[in-house]
Amino acid sequence: MIKAVHLTKQLPNGKLLLNDISFEVSKGEFLGILGPSGAGKTLTLKSLIGLLDLTNGEVWIEESNNEHINIFNTKAKVLKKLRTKIALIFQGYHLVQRATALDNVLMGRLGSISTFRSLIFGFNEVEKKAAMSSLEKVNMQHLAQAKVASLSGGEKQRVAIARALFQEPNLLLADEPISSLDPKNAKIIMGILKELSTLFPVIGVFHQPELCAKYCSRIIAIKDGKKVYDGPPVLEESLLEFIYGEELAIVIPEKYAN
Amino acid sequence: MKTFLMEHKRWFQTLFVLIGMFLLIQYLKIDLTILLTDLHYVVELLNEMFPPNFEAIWDNNKVLNSILETISMAYLGTLFGGLIAFLFSIIASNNIFNFILIGRLAKLILSFIRVLPSLVVILIFVVAVGPGPFAGVLTIIFATIGTLGKLFTESLENLDPTSAQSLQSTGAHKLQTFKYAVWPEFLPAFISNLLYCFDINMRAAVALGIFGGGGIGYKLYLAMRVLHYKDAVALIICIIILLLIIENLSNYLRHKILGN
Repeated sequence: MIKAVHLTKQLPNGKLLLNDISFEVSKGEFLGILGPSGAGKTLTLKSLIGLLDLTNGEVWIEESNNEHINIFNTKAKVLKKLRTKIALIFQGYHLVQRATALDNVLMGRLGSISTFRSLIFGFNEVEKKAAMSSLEKVNMQHLAQAKVASLSGGEKQRVAIARALFQEPNLLLADEPISSLDPKNAKIIMGILKELSTLFPVIGVFHQPELCAKYCSRIIAIKDGKKVYDGPPVLEESLLEFIYGEELAIVIPEKYAN
Repeated sequence: MKTFLMEHKRWFQTLFVLIGMFLLIQYLKIDLTILLTDLHYVVELLNEMFPPNFEAIWDNNKVLNSILETISMAYLGTLFGGLIAFLFSIIASNNIFNFILIGRLAKLILSFIRVLPSLVVILIFVVAVGPGPFAGVLTIIFATIGTLGKLFTESLENLDPTSAQSLQSTGAHKLQTFKYAVWPEFLPAFISNLLYCFDINMRAAVALGIFGGGGIGYKLYLAMRVLHYKDAVALIICIIILLLIIENLSNYLRHKILGN
């Protein structure tokens, strides 16, 4: 479970980038964050793992023993340990291009194993097997030994998800994971994320309201740093028009063609 | 007057360059007529040089040894220089080493090393450790640190930072991200620059031999000194073939590595 309370970020000139955003996400939920460009979607996601210095606000993350920790008010060591259980995937995949898919998956656990062992010996057979089964879950086992540079966008994103899985996270955050994918691969990735949300909360930033309506269990819409909607994934057209304004023609191009 | 100057700008520029050239030739007291009056010396020298005396090379194991000596100098110089340059470049790269001031200092030291000409450095080392291959190797190490330090730093700083950042965001240690994210992406640049530098250092090893660094360069120097021009030409041809082989080999290996 993750709980964001009064997330606020104000620039020195007084402009509010995040304006009092609060929400709570628990296991079984696949939360999609929607909103026009520059609304503060990615900033919200970044503040959830403490990568953004907030002006005000707290983020509470559940530790294994039912204990909740505010990531903005904890020691660096605790935060580091907490991060080993938060998986991240990005639009740009952020994988090591010259390493194999399997090696990239294995890297997901670098934070959890001892630095000394990972520098001198590397990963053991048990971990390699587990990484293989993570790849199997995203249907990529046949490309385990392929260099990431030789994979397609959809395949790279599936490797990134396999890495996230191998991390055995308590939470998965995805920053525009399907924005650079073709429609078919975007649907595959959304399907995988939906499946994973039964294991741990999944929070993603998206630009595709229609896909979110199909796969997410809940939507939060952000406009000008403010939460303007929080509820079921299917959004009415009038609401979408309010959220996106002129950008609507770009996010739902099929409807506005011609 | 001003418009006249502007209209014929090109002519005035040319005139300016020609006058400058003439003045500099006067300043250096270059007597161009020597080229005409003493041309027969060049012809005589060429007469003495040909045919090259290759027997001097095959008859004398010392020459083959000196070729091996030159290759060894370049190899050892590149290897140790490359390793030290690598350590320097890690410190000098802003994206890997966080202490920016120390990084600046490392970059400053590297540029200081680069501006010192090798021919000056070898003079110092010859005085310090005596003439011979050791002075040559030390000089090559010195030059390699300067060259490779810069090349390595540039390739490290140009790496895509996102893969390392994504590992760090999952709690990985800085050393872990270096081994798993930075090193694999840096490796091709590392090896290809090493090979490129080995190629440069072969040439340097020959040239440094003349200044007391040992190897085939020193043999060439001796042959010229005792006026054995036929031996010298044979040695020069030998050097050209050797350098061509090394250059092509290093190019071939580099393309093979970068191709993957």
